[in-house]
Amino acid sequence: MDEVQVDRKNYQMPPVEGITIAHFLTVADLKRSAEFYATVFGGEIVSTGDGDAPPYIKIANTWLILNVGGGPTPDKPTVTLRTPPDPNEFSSFMNIRVADIQACYKLWKSRGATFLTEPLDKYGETRCYIRDPDGYIIEVGQSKPGFKYG
Amino acid sequence: MGEVQVDQTDYQIPPQQGFTVALFLTVTDIERSVQFYQTVFGAKVTRKSLKGPDDPAYVQIANTWLIFNPGGGPTPDKPGVTLQIPDPSVISSFMNLRVADIAACYALWRSRGAEFLTEPKEKYGETRCYIRDPDGYIIEVGQSKPGFFEQPG
Repeated sequence: MDEVQVDRKNYQMPPVEGITIAHFLTVADLKRSAEFYATVFGGEIVSTGDGDAPPYIKIANTWLILNVGGGPTPDKPTVTLRTPPDPNEFSSFMNIRVADIQACYKLWKSRGATFLTEPLDKYGETRCYIRDPDGYIIEVGQSKPGFKYG
Repeated sequence: MGEVQVDQTDYQIPPQQGFTVALFLTVTDIERSVQFYQTVFGAKVTRKSLKGPDDPAYVQIANTWLIFNPGGGPTPDKPGVTLQIPDPSVISSFMNLRVADIAACYALWRSRGAEFLTEPKEKYGETRCYIRDPDGYIIEVGQSKPGFFEQPG
């Protein structure tokens, strides 16, 4: 479907060797979410999700896999998947690190993204959040030049 | 910190241009999570948590990065939103590891201490199983069957 290179190693979806990491989102409406991520971030819909297959959207260095929720399955007997039950409580989220947050804020807003606030200064970075159609938060952050990466 | 190339474009953290997608996980103990992802998946620590429990750690794993932080209450840029560790039985989004050889990954990662909910199981279009991380996050491990991605569109 596509390729990624990290440290001279190729990553593909599906991988022909090793692993490739995607991010799974439980969504209410596959088409609405696919259009949102394709439109706002220039994501590429690499699998439309016809039939029982979920849509895959390539976005920068990773892929999003969208599917509707549901109850336990034989391979996850105690786990239920649902869209975010509370838009004010999250554990994990997509974190988009950007080179120019003002440019991203303007561009993505012009494409229909709803931001919680404009970019705000914080220790080590400038940051803002997008709310996706299901209520997921998406962090958008630009690290400051002095921010030490190890 | 490691680079990614997609369609002739380089991706880095922090990015020099454009954007790079990472996954943020609220965790109880940053060091425990770093060690788990390092040990099980061979993730590379690209930023240590140096300034106490609120200082995030970054690890690079395959084509993406994980960012660990202990979470907390609302901030000026996300009023009303609280970050907390997950309810292990109700999940909305998760890391999805697509693999070339699920039997090999299952054996290797299990030998490194990963807890799987079940062994790999056959499903339409793929073989699949799930790992539970130290905070209760599920991590899908899936191998697509040949032909799955050859649908039109």
